[in-house]
Amino acid sequence: MPDDGGLNGSSVAAPAPGRLRRLLTSEHLSGWTFVLPAVILIVVFGLIPIAWGLILSFQKAGLISPEREWVGFENYARIAADPKARQAAVNTIVYTLLFVPISILASLLVAHALNRRIALIRFYRLAVFIPVVTSTIATGIMFLWLFDKNFGLANWALGKIGIGPFGFFEDPDQAMVSLVIMTVWGWLGFDTIIYLAALQGVPPELTEAAAIDGASRWSSFWRITWPMLGPATLLLVVWSTISALQLFDEVFFVTHGGPLGRTSVVVFYVYRLAFEQGLGGLSLAGYAAAIAYVLFLVILLLTLAQFWLARRVVHYTS
Amino acid sequence: MTRRSLILLVSLCLLAACTGGSDDGGSPSAEPSGPVTLTFWHGYTDVEADSLNALLDEWNADHPDIQVKPLFVNNDKALQKLTVALQGGEPPDITYQYGSSLASVAAAPGLVDLTDWVQTPDVDWEDFIPGAREAATVDGKVLGIPALVDNLALVYNKDLFDQAGLDYPTPDWTWDDLRAAAKALTDPAEKRFGFAYPMDASEDSVWHWDPLLWQKGGSILTEDGSKAAFNSPEGVEALELFAGMAVDDRSVYLDIQNSAYTSLFNNGRIGMLETGPWDLASFPDVDYGVEILPGFDGDHQTIAGPDMWCVFDNGGGKKEAALEFLQWLTAAEQVQKEDLATGHLPIRLSVADDEAFVGQMAEALPGVDVFAENLQNVEQARPVLDAYPQISEAMGTAIVSAMLGESEPKAALDKAAQESNDALALAG
Amino acid sequence: MTTPATSVITESPAAETRVDPRTLPGEVGMVERPRRRFLPFDPWHLFLAPLAVVWLVPLLWMVVTSLETPSETLRFPPVLWPESLRFGNYLDVVRDSAFGTWFWNTTVVTVTVVSSNLVLCTLAAYAFARIRFLGRTFVYFVLLATLMVPLQVVLIPTFLIAKDLGLLDHLGALIVPNLASVFGIFMLTQFFRTLPIELEEAARIDGASRLSILLRIVVPLSLPALATLAVIQFLWTWNDFLWPLVTILTNQGAFTLQLGLATFQGAHQTQWHLVAAANLMSMVPMIVLFLAAQRAFVRGIATQGLKG
Repeated sequence: MPDDGGLNGSSVAAPAPGRLRRLLTSEHLSGWTFVLPAVILIVVFGLIPIAWGLILSFQKAGLISPEREWVGFENYARIAADPKARQAAVNTIVYTLLFVPISILASLLVAHALNRRIALIRFYRLAVFIPVVTSTIATGIMFLWLFDKNFGLANWALGKIGIGPFGFFEDPDQAMVSLVIMTVWGWLGFDTIIYLAALQGVPPELTEAAAIDGASRWSSFWRITWPMLGPATLLLVVWSTISALQLFDEVFFVTHGGPLGRTSVVVFYVYRLAFEQGLGGLSLAGYAAAIAYVLFLVILLLTLAQFWLARRVVHYTS
Repeated sequence: MTRRSLILLVSLCLLAACTGGSDDGGSPSAEPSGPVTLTFWHGYTDVEADSLNALLDEWNADHPDIQVKPLFVNNDKALQKLTVALQGGEPPDITYQYGSSLASVAAAPGLVDLTDWVQTPDVDWEDFIPGAREAATVDGKVLGIPALVDNLALVYNKDLFDQAGLDYPTPDWTWDDLRAAAKALTDPAEKRFGFAYPMDASEDSVWHWDPLLWQKGGSILTEDGSKAAFNSPEGVEALELFAGMAVDDRSVYLDIQNSAYTSLFNNGRIGMLETGPWDLASFPDVDYGVEILPGFDGDHQTIAGPDMWCVFDNGGGKKEAALEFLQWLTAAEQVQKEDLATGHLPIRLSVADDEAFVGQMAEALPGVDVFAENLQNVEQARPVLDAYPQISEAMGTAIVSAMLGESEPKAALDKAAQESNDALALAG
Repeated sequence: MTTPATSVITESPAAETRVDPRTLPGEVGMVERPRRRFLPFDPWHLFLAPLAVVWLVPLLWMVVTSLETPSETLRFPPVLWPESLRFGNYLDVVRDSAFGTWFWNTTVVTVTVVSSNLVLCTLAAYAFARIRFLGRTFVYFVLLATLMVPLQVVLIPTFLIAKDLGLLDHLGALIVPNLASVFGIFMLTQFFRTLPIELEEAARIDGASRLSILLRIVVPLSLPALATLAVIQFLWTWNDFLWPLVTILTNQGAFTLQLGLATFQGAHQTQWHLVAAANLMSMVPMIVLFLAAQRAFVRGIATQGLKG
């Protein structure tokens, strides 16, 4: 079976060409039957709202009153001249560049560690997963105290080994890194269980055989396990990038975009414009939507790029 | 779990979900037939909720024709939830909103203009605290009924003052007196601070500073409300005080959580706070005192942060019912019941001037009498206009920036003024 | 030393490879690699144990807070062990609030949504992974595109649609829009494509229908992925706050746990001990599900059918 890594690659070969036509029709029919329920739901609750939002981005609108005024591309043009939008864009990119690689590598390591039968393994797996289950608010409060410059545990511990004290969320230059630490901690379990499930799909016979043939642990990981993790890695890279670029909750509940706007990310800025500052007469909801759709475009292009890259690298069938 | 029982469970859930529709739907009916049910959004919790529910039970028992149905909405979510509901044409009949949200809500369709109604004698509009009345008025129209008033005063830890050998704050204190005391109370080794300040650059960072600006004779906007005026020399001096305390004296705990200060004060780590009556219940372990704010040149005015009940007209006689209910809720008798139970300050002058009653409140919650008297020191209110959220953000950033030492007070305020003017120009 | 790989499989596992006798039934895959031991325990514990401690700190903090008196919650430095263990806080939460209602509502919504996702996402993902149908790639990317617009932007139009469908103000609003998640489809598609296609081909040639291939071959091989999806979807639905906030307009009886928890957090005063107790109680089902799902994280019996 030729493996091209792309979506069009794998399918089950049809029997003799004589009945080809009939089968082709039934292929399409069965394909659509399988996806239709999900597609209908997602079109109604996903696509139509997105179209609505897109239309909004071409209007001057305040979300309190029903008034709308068509302004074409004026909202989009405004973005370039808006220093706060620029700051939000830079912050978001920095965050994503830090968060994605760190969390993917860390979760791979942790999943590898958790993929074994030793005592307490169920406890360890649960422990790693707990932060994912904990609410963002609880996590935020905990980290604010942990990273408090004067009274936090972090500075106390670091002081014992002679470092610090750090400002963390209080210091404009350190707030972003502190945010990355907090979110990596909170979401590691999510990536880990996906990698764990993927590692379960690696037949141990292969690694066992390699070990018997004298391969080192590292090369057996690199040559056997890692390629089989391709699909999971693609999933996690795409998903983590999308989530990182859309970061909101932690900023909203913990840093409020501060200090001095240094952790203000795009979705947070959009939210403030639409729901806090742009209501009533200022009518900034349309502008907010325009910013959101520029972000959408960036995410879309990035995701397509990731899939394209994956075509060359990710192997699917065994 | 066997497949059969799984299917049963899922079917049960689907059934439970689809029959989840409640008694009265949502759409406003044209005909008032039978009892009217009012949707009432509030953010009261704990003791406040108990008091409110008791009042609601009392009303509902006496008024079978007007039933009030409460729904809890966190106050800081109330505006967002209202926004979404409005877009769907489903506003509540009555909702609690921050006073600062009023300008944003003003453009909402269906919002009831109360200007004429408050003039009816039974409402006794003049009896409401002046600052609250002003905050309820947007462009000359009354758009809300005061639900809550408060103000900022000085709360201090008597034991820490005793330990440092300092005299307690007096009504004649100046801000320089406060600065000196804060410095004396600060002990880096003990990790103790003389003062604390909210540093999340939200409106909290702003309104804690406004009294100083006003006491100096400055103002937030120009007379005609078209440009920022807080970067005047008076404003710069006012900010230099806090900035000096934070950067030079290092006597201020910079609270970026904007909530850490309560437990820190309660544990003797902070000497003085500029805060409101709502915090008093959080200090069970401290022998605290309350005094009016220090002043500049004998001016001790303070600031109030009133919140409102807003009414929406959903047809079917609901508006009239809602007004009738709110009139009862804000009448002196109910106000007294609520204040005694919760420690909220009286929203009516007649109640606030009742020394015996205020004395009763102070027995339950020491210090609240000073706050009640301090209501007289509320002279002006923050501007109520569309662009205020952005002005607030600009000012908050300037204050935080100066107190972090990231910029000089004058430069910070000038930058904020520039951004505010941009926002004002946009609002037109 | 040159034992061919295949012979490892054809031999009975217990004889040739060292299998941990504590292995769960079905968990045939995990084998021990014989090695010299420098420590009395597996060296991975040195990595995992500190990691677990760090990761568990919030839980411990919440447990301690949930057992404190209101005054103790306001102490600084934080109380490490309360004077007395106030288990009564848990009773207070259940008794003084509508916790039971919230719990039931959240359970109904979550079970329905998770079950529906397992069915609908599996069907759709199988088609995307294995069936070549007209428009497959296009539809796939269009679905993915819906992940790229943040909820805050589409909150209002989604609300309007829910309103037009009569879903507002009851659990229907929380269930119907979430019956199929794009992430679920995305994840399962990726997993299905890693499965060896030979089994499916063989069945197809034998004339089996797509559906029966899906149910009899693909699904049993995908238990880890399905269990993962169940856990993740459960997590999202259980913890959802913003959507329930805006869709429940008058009916406090339709509150979910997250909405209910918010009633303990006032504008100025928060009852931390009750918040912690309520939060912990609401985390229990997810923890239980996670532990149960670990049983599903077993390698299927499929590999035994792989080699002929």
